[in-house]
Amino acid sequence: MTTLEPLELAEEARRAAARVRRFGAWYAAEHQIRVWRRYLGVNIASAIGTPVLYLFAFGVGLGVLVTANAGPAGVDGVSYLVFVAPALIVTAAVTIASGEFTYPVMQGFKWNPTYIGMNAAPLSARQIIDGVVLFVGLRMLTASVVYFAIMAAFGASPSPAAALTVLIATLGGLAFGTPLLAYSATLREDRGQFAVVQRVIVLPLTLFSGTIFPLAQLPWFLQWIGWLSPLWHASELGRVVSYGAERPGWLVAVHVGYLVLLAVAGWLLAVRIATRRLDA
Amino acid sequence: MSAVTEERALRRGSVRSLYAGNATAVVVRGLQATRSSNWVVVISGFVEPIFYLLSLGVGLGGFIGTVTDAAGNHIPYAAYIAPALLAVSAMNGAIYDSTWNVFFKMNFGKLYEGMLATSLGPLDVALGEILLALLRGAVYGVGFQIVMQVMGLNLAWTALLAVPAVMLIAFAFAAVGMGITSYFRSFQQMEWIPFVLLPMFLFSATFFPITVYPEPIQWLVQALPLWHAVELVRGLTTGILSPLMLVHVVYFLVLVVGGLSFTTRRLRALFLD
Repeated sequence: MTTLEPLELAEEARRAAARVRRFGAWYAAEHQIRVWRRYLGVNIASAIGTPVLYLFAFGVGLGVLVTANAGPAGVDGVSYLVFVAPALIVTAAVTIASGEFTYPVMQGFKWNPTYIGMNAAPLSARQIIDGVVLFVGLRMLTASVVYFAIMAAFGASPSPAAALTVLIATLGGLAFGTPLLAYSATLREDRGQFAVVQRVIVLPLTLFSGTIFPLAQLPWFLQWIGWLSPLWHASELGRVVSYGAERPGWLVAVHVGYLVLLAVAGWLLAVRIATRRLDA
Repeated sequence: MSAVTEERALRRGSVRSLYAGNATAVVVRGLQATRSSNWVVVISGFVEPIFYLLSLGVGLGGFIGTVTDAAGNHIPYAAYIAPALLAVSAMNGAIYDSTWNVFFKMNFGKLYEGMLATSLGPLDVALGEILLALLRGAVYGVGFQIVMQVMGLNLAWTALLAVPAVMLIAFAFAAVGMGITSYFRSFQQMEWIPFVLLPMFLFSATFFPITVYPEPIQWLVQALPLWHAVELVRGLTTGILSPLMLVHVVYFLVLVVGGLSFTTRRLRALFLD
């Protein structure tokens, strides 16, 4: 073992600090990935099992009922399976987002305060939040790739451009998730707020968002929920790339713009809130 | 030394050592604990199945029209799906209460250790916890029934019997769920619960008749508890009754008795032996 001279030590410390300043967000993400390994078994099982089950249930099983009624022309000009598949992949990403951006955030601030620990090391609040978003983004991306492969195996993605649903789903998940992250970062006490948010906000945004049936099927007084829901905007985008659903250009632009706006605004807000909380 | 061994031997022997006849103490304690917790959480549990009913029944229903059941009856889609949602919410409620709640109380609250140190036996604790879950389930079940009635989805007077049916179903799921939870040691393992429930939720004739599957898969589905639950409740709310429904009732009675004895034995093994 070589001993370092005090000057060398100081130099080494400076270099390490510079590395953290530059790659801090990735270090924070790496931490999350290492923790994630503990859940890997159940995660892999559900990443593969969930799409298979949903595609069978909604695409195939429910498809029989829909076809019996709507005729072979199906929904939106395609079979029900093809119609529903892009929405299912986005829903999967949104489910991951609503899981990862709630309880684990509370845990990081409070129950097992790793954020506080990271912040005591030279990571800034911004880097910690960036790391969390990076990790969840990566997780959604991986799950979406698996989902897409299974979708393709079911014959539910007719055009090559359908592969873009992977990115759309991840964007949709972030648009849904970062505002939730910002909210979670404000919570200091668990009084069941997450359960309430899940039931009163996340669930309606999921159910009334034109995913397993066209939004127009809902009475007019419920349709606005779909317009607010990132899930609807992302599913519609998925349909455009997946089977070339005909949507006006301006509407496609609105979909993209709304999703990016939500994702970025939520992200920035979360950084602000975390900074105030950790630096206080 | 020998006195202790003797007492253990006695405990094993009789039901009285497992049950002090005071499950109500556990129920009352649970109600008092609920009073100090967030009521919004309890109420929001009630709106959940209603959102599902509005979305799937109204939205998807306008799309699908009617469903033809195995006997050839045409049922409006919303009326087809509503009893299934009622059965599912009974299952979910019972499973949630008997898994997550029990997991917390067992591993963090150390509540049962405290209870069993008193004169209460493991059967008191198991019964008390399950009765508590049933009480909440009954409130949700009645609420959902009222919504179904208002929406015109109860097609026969036998729908009144759906509430006791739902209680029986919830009892069975809770009794089995609590026993299984006693084996879990970490949060990560708990993630398997939704993973096991999901296929049951999707395929138990909840959203479409099982006749869309090949026959061997139909048999598999028919072995699962949720299928029996859905069929039982649907038969009652649509008024399409059949002698087969007695089989469903017996199925759940067996689960109740089996689950209770399993859970009691587990609690005894964990805390008393």
